[in-house]
Amino acid sequence: MGRLARKRKHKGDKPMKEKYRTKRKTKDIDEVHNDMKPDNAQNLLKQDIDFDRPGFGQFYCIHCAKYFISEPAIKEHFKGKPHKKRIKALKVEPYTQAEAERAAGMGSYVAPKPVEVSTQPLSTGMDLET
Amino acid sequence: MRLEKCYFCSSTVYPGHGIQFVRNDCKIFRFCRSKCHKAFQKKRNPRKARWTKAFRKAAGKDLAVDPSFEFEKRRNVPVKYNRELWTTTVRAMQRISEIKNKRQNQFILNRLKKGKELRKEADVREVQKNIHLIKSPAARSTQLEKRLVEVIREEDDAKMEDDL
Repeated sequence: MGRLARKRKHKGDKPMKEKYRTKRKTKDIDEVHNDMKPDNAQNLLKQDIDFDRPGFGQFYCIHCAKYFISEPAIKEHFKGKPHKKRIKALKVEPYTQAEAERAAGMGSYVAPKPVEVSTQPLSTGMDLET
Repeated sequence: MRLEKCYFCSSTVYPGHGIQFVRNDCKIFRFCRSKCHKAFQKKRNPRKARWTKAFRKAAGKDLAVDPSFEFEKRRNVPVKYNRELWTTTVRAMQRISEIKNKRQNQFILNRLKKGKELRKEADVREVQKNIHLIKSPAARSTQLEKRLVEVIREEDDAKMEDDL
């Protein structure tokens, strides 16, 4: 096409737009870091039964911020690539506005600290059966 | 008026430019243009996008640690107007930015020096490895050639004397 402008640029871009709508927003990585704090993690791992959630909210992966329907499903998820990738991404301190400002010349560079992360222990499924 | 910095690429966001996103935990994210906003929406990591300031500093591409970075700061206490202070500050700002630019440029020059050396080394290695393309390994050095010629001449002379 060269330099010619293409017409109808917005035809068929609905799926992408829908994906990045604010209403479809999933948790950011720094929010997950906040969730990983012991107090918050406890609340998320032991949720009350909620019939609106997948698996009644009993199988939640903190690191990926996702609900699963059953124990085998979440176990399978822990073995998968997306989860492992997520764990790796969580192993450094989250990026902040302060870091952006330091990079812009407001202060010297400070290397991000490593964070210890490991997959949550599986004990959530027990409550549902009892 | 405060000039904010873009969350993603760390450039200055001037009034009337860019977009601001307020997350449902009240955290504010400012973006200088749609490029940065889109990258944020796609959950890109600014430390890994090669075009951001954060990447360039983390990867050692730009000058990252220097006392000249300690002047510009977010100061939340307003300063009462004082003409003298104002003039000296303006003068200092110009001087500081001059020094900062010089240091940043010098840093990049020093960083590029390494590549120059490596390239030269590689060139020398290549010539040594492929020397047979310019000079035949069978070819003797000129000195050796001269000596050989002398030896042959002497032998000839000796032969001639014997014959006589």
